Amino acid sequence: MIKKRNSYNRRLLILLGFGILWFAADAHPEQRNVLDQIKQTTIHRKELNPDEFDQNIPKQAVKVIMKYQGGVFWTESRKDKMERYPCFSCHSNTPEKIKSTKEIVHGDILLEHGKAEKPLSCATCHLKDNPHLLKTAEKINIDMDHSYDLCGQCHFRQKQDWIGGAHGKRISNWAGKRVVKNCTSCHNPHSPLFQKRWPKTYSPPIDK
Amino acid sequence: MDVFKNRLKEKPFGRRAFLKRFAMAAALSSSASATGCIGLLQNDDRFQLKWKEYFKNNYRLMTPQEKEETVERLERLAQIEKHVDIQMSSKSPVDGVLFGYAFNLTRCEGFMECVTACVKENNLDRQTHTQYIRIFEMEPGGMSPETGDGKYFHEVPVDHHFYMGVQCFHCENAPCVRACPTKATWKEPDGIVVVDYDWCIGCRYCMAACPYYGRRFNWGAPKVPNNEMTQKQHYLGNRIRPKGTMEKCTFCVQRTRAGRLPACVEACPTGARVFGNLLDPDSEIRFVLKHKKVFRLKEDLATDPKFWYFVD
Repeated sequence: MIKKRNSYNRRLLILLGFGILWFAADAHPEQRNVLDQIKQTTIHRKELNPDEFDQNIPKQAVKVIMKYQGGVFWTESRKDKMERYPCFSCHSNTPEKIKSTKEIVHGDILLEHGKAEKPLSCATCHLKDNPHLLKTAEKINIDMDHSYDLCGQCHFRQKQDWIGGAHGKRISNWAGKRVVKNCTSCHNPHSPLFQKRWPKTYSPPIDK
Repeated sequence: MDVFKNRLKEKPFGRRAFLKRFAMAAALSSSASATGCIGLLQNDDRFQLKWKEYFKNNYRLMTPQEKEETVERLERLAQIEKHVDIQMSSKSPVDGVLFGYAFNLTRCEGFMECVTACVKENNLDRQTHTQYIRIFEMEPGGMSPETGDGKYFHEVPVDHHFYMGVQCFHCENAPCVRACPTKATWKEPDGIVVVDYDWCIGCRYCMAACPYYGRRFNWGAPKVPNNEMTQKQHYLGNRIRPKGTMEKCTFCVQRTRAGRLPACVEACPTGARVFGNLLDPDSEIRFVLKHKKVFRLKEDLATDPKFWYFVD
């Protein structure tokens, strides 16, 4: 008699145990931590169906010479946004007739770059004989569209972040072809620091 | 007077009599209104649309066809009532996408261009000055927006200060979703916390439940001039919300589900805002999470927000 009751109790206990487990497992069935989700699933950019997204990528984009973690990417071109490009329309073999040509033509440029430590001059980045090209400290010529390579020789940390995606930004899409802003899209290369200005709007006080 | 008193004595206005009269009056008025309704149903296109809108289902229970129909109805209603042509979508989430957001505290300079872009994109009420994003001017060392100044209006950036943007963080374990008594707010499979504006009763429990002040209550339908209205709309996103409902940042669902960046990211002049697919190991947001020092607000509450702050 006693044996029988014991076995019955044991069975009941096991059942109860299973019940508790089932409840615990079912408490939040779809709730998953973000970081777990990130670790468990990987979907590469190219696996997404491109038909799902709008494709409005600017036509004036140039392929960047480096690659980012997801392969090749593009950046905004520069030449078509420069006021007096091509440089050869003025910089030809004819000698200068007026003394202050430089001030008259390029006098609007305010050079405030590398202020306190090492002030830059025109010749730091520009070639006198070949004004449509830029040159690095190691005398490597660089196209105007690829100015990121020139800026990156000092601002190497920013360049790394820019390639990876922590500095700068994409143009309009998060999906599809990666087209990012060039250094010169946001910074004035001659005085790259953002100027102080008034905010575009204000926030009313919170009524709590 | 005496006559009146006598009458009262003769015909006591009892409960039964009152009920009888009330029933008659109700029947009369209802029949009158019913005939009125029938007239409207036959003639007024607007009334018919509104009638169907009133009896529609919760968005999550709608079939794809029902979603199409309600979107069409809302487009026509906007045309009839406000004389604007809008294109509303009910695009469902894309598989393999989980949206995440990162905010660079070093780069933000408080120009507030994101706020104006958000107001414009999401058709926010111009009269009450509703804003989904708030930017706080912070003293060094403070890492909670409560210590910052959210009402600044002077030349920015101020030296030795940093700026912190706050909006809906789209928590994976969102307290607002659990607080809602009508299941009018929920987390979509791509991680966006949305509101079915037509199912919301405006009780503001979610507003009380949110530890980040991410939700806004409207005391009236948003008033937006026709020429400033964003016409590309989404049912769960920037459509003109009805009066007395909760609204909030939706990561610009109308844009992001089409592969575009949210309006705030696109407007940011300093590139302080990073947006992308968390499940894609090559995305910008994953680069930030991997290589930068990141933190989230009030992580001890286990709300698991998909919005990280980082410094360069």
